Amino acid sequence: MTTRIVGAAVFVIAALFVMQARLYEAPFGDVLGPAVFPVIVGIPAMMLSASLVVWPGSEVAWPRPERLLRQGAALVVLLGYAWLLVPLGFLIATFLLVALLAIVLDGPAGKSVVLGAVIAPALWALFDRVLGLPLAPLGTWF
Amino acid sequence: METLIALGGGFAVALTPLNLALLLLGCFAGTLIGAMPGLGPVNGVAILIPLTFAFGFDATSSLILLSAVYFGCMYGGRISSILLNIPGDEPAVMTTLDGYPMAQQGRAADALAISGVASFVGATVSVIGLTLFAPLLAQAAIYFGPADYFALYILAFATIGGIAGVDPRKTLLSAVIGLMIATIGIDPISGIPRFTGGNYHIYDGVDAIVALVGLFAISEILFLLERRARDRSASIRVQSWLPDFRTIWATRAAMARGSIVGFVAGVLPGAGASLGAVMSYSMEKQVSNREGRFGKGDPRGVAAPEAGNNAASGGALIPMLSLGVPGSGTTAVMLAMLISLNVQPGPLLFARQPDLVWGLVASLYLANIALLVLNLPLIGLFTRMMMVPTWALMPVVAAVSFVGVFAIANSVFDLEVMILFGMLGYLLRKLDISLVPLVLGLLLGGDMERNLRRAMSISDGDWSILLSSWISIVLYVLTALFLALSVWLAVRDRRMDATRPTD
Repeated sequence: MTTRIVGAAVFVIAALFVMQARLYEAPFGDVLGPAVFPVIVGIPAMMLSASLVVWPGSEVAWPRPERLLRQGAALVVLLGYAWLLVPLGFLIATFLLVALLAIVLDGPAGKSVVLGAVIAPALWALFDRVLGLPLAPLGTWF
Repeated sequence: METLIALGGGFAVALTPLNLALLLLGCFAGTLIGAMPGLGPVNGVAILIPLTFAFGFDATSSLILLSAVYFGCMYGGRISSILLNIPGDEPAVMTTLDGYPMAQQGRAADALAISGVASFVGATVSVIGLTLFAPLLAQAAIYFGPADYFALYILAFATIGGIAGVDPRKTLLSAVIGLMIATIGIDPISGIPRFTGGNYHIYDGVDAIVALVGLFAISEILFLLERRARDRSASIRVQSWLPDFRTIWATRAAMARGSIVGFVAGVLPGAGASLGAVMSYSMEKQVSNREGRFGKGDPRGVAAPEAGNNAASGGALIPMLSLGVPGSGTTAVMLAMLISLNVQPGPLLFARQPDLVWGLVASLYLANIALLVLNLPLIGLFTRMMMVPTWALMPVVAAVSFVGVFAIANSVFDLEVMILFGMLGYLLRKLDISLVPLVLGLLLGGDMERNLRRAMSISDGDWSILLSSWISIVLYVLTALFLALSVWLAVRDRRMDATRPTD
C-alpha cells in the first residue's frame, strides 16, 4: 500500500510541477525557453509514478509503533536543534542534541547525558578553537 | 611521457606539507569511518564535505582530503564485515561471505591482512588505470558538443538505473525526481525564478551538499532507529594480529583478477564499487572454487571482492574527472563538492587545472601506501574503535553534520532543508529506491538542461540536432542497450524469486 500511496503522491506533485512549468515564458531570445526541460522531466516522473500505483511490486515493512515513535522523537530533536541553535548557542543546543538523540537511540539515560556533556564542549573546542570555524558558544538568549 | 611529467608535477603538489597532512588525516579518518558499522564512504564523505568547505581549503586540498577519506572508507569497510558480519556499505557485503567464516575459524588476522593487501593491490591498479586512461578519455571528450553531453547524461542515468537498482522503474523515478529538484531556483538563461514559491532562500536552487548530508547522514539515523541497537556480542575476539604471509601470497592471482574486473566495473558510469565487488567475487568463484570452499572461509573469497571494490572506487574517478559523470555514489558526492568549489569536472579540467587533477592522482598513490602502512599494524586500534556503540556514535555524527551544514552559510533554513531531505531519503530507501540517481539528477540537472538549450539554440529549435552526431548516436544506442539489459536482469531476478522455494 505504501508504494501505491507514494506513487500517487509523486504523480500529483509531478503533475502540478508540469502544469506550473508550462506557465514559464522567456521574455526574448531563448529558443527552448524555461518551460520545456521541466516538462520533459515531469512527464516521465508522472509515467513512472503512475506505474508504481498500478504495479507496486514489493511491499514496505514499516517499523513497530514503538520504533516509529522513536523516529518521530528523533525528528523533533533534530528540528529542535535547527531552531534552537542560534538562540541557545552551540554548547547548550549540542548538549541537548547529543544527549536526547543518544537516549532515543536506546542509550542508557545517565551515560547519554554524560556523552552530551563531554561531546558538546569537545566539538566546540575542536571546531571553533582548533579548526577556526566560528561557532557562538552561547546564543542570543544569553 | 607527457603523462609522467604531469604526474611528477602532481607529486610536487601532493607532497606539500598541508596536503600531505590532510592526506594522512583523511586516510586515518576514512578507515575509522569505514570500520564503523552503518557508516560507509558515501556517508563519510557527505558528512565531511561541508566541513572541508567551511575550513576554506582550496579545491585541490579539499579534494585530496576527501579522496583519502573515500579510499580509507573502502579499506575500513572490510573490518566490520570480517569481525562483525556487518558490512559498512553495499560493496563490503561480498567480503562478509568468506571473511566472517574465516574469522569464526580463528583466522581473523589472516582475513584482515588479506583484505588489507588486496585493497592495496586493487586500489593501486585502479590508480595506474586512472593515470593512463583518464587523460585519454578527457582528450576524446573534447570533441563532445552540447547535444553529445545531453546524450551522455542520459546514458549515465540509464546505467546507474539499470545496474544499481532492484526495480529499474524506481531507479529512473529517483533520477527524474533529482532532475525535478534541480530545476528549482532562478533559471540561469532566462533569469526567471522557477518553483521557488517566492522563497528567496531557494532562488539559488537547492544546495546539493545540504541535500546530500540529509539524504545520507540523517536518513541513516532514522534507519538505525528502526531496530534496537544491534547486539555486538557476536563479534569475534582476535587472539593474534600476526597474519600468515604464505596465505596472503597464495591469493595473489585472485587479487590480480579481482583488480582488473573491479576496475572495468568502476569505469562504467553509475555501476561503481558494488558491481565491482559482486563481479570479482562471482568470477573468482567460477574460476577457482573447485573444492567448493567458497562461502565457508576461503581466503580467495576475501581477496577477490576486496581487490574488486577498491579497484572500482578508483575506476569510478575516471568518468567523474574526465566527463563530469560520476561512476559511483561516493564520486557523485565528490562531484557535488567540486561543483560547489566552482571546479567544473570534464574534458577541460585536465587542460585548465592540471595541478588539481594530477595532485589528486599523485595523492591517491600516496594514500594507498599510507593506508597499507596504517592498516596492517593499527588494525587492533581500528577494531577497538569499531566497538563504540551506535547510541553514542550516531548523535556525534548528527552533531558534526549539523555543524558542517550550518557553517556553509550560517543558515537555519539549510538545516531545515537537510532534515527534510533526511526524511525524503528515509522514505525512498524504505521503498527500495536508490538515492544515488536522485543525487546524480540533482547534480547534473542544471548542466543537462543548459546543454540541451545550447544545442537547441545552435539548431534554432530543430530537435534533430540531438541525433546529428555519431557520438550522440553511439551514446543513445548504449543507453538503449543498458536499459534493455536492466529490464532483462529485473525480469530474470523476479523469475528466480518466483521459482525459489520458500523456507
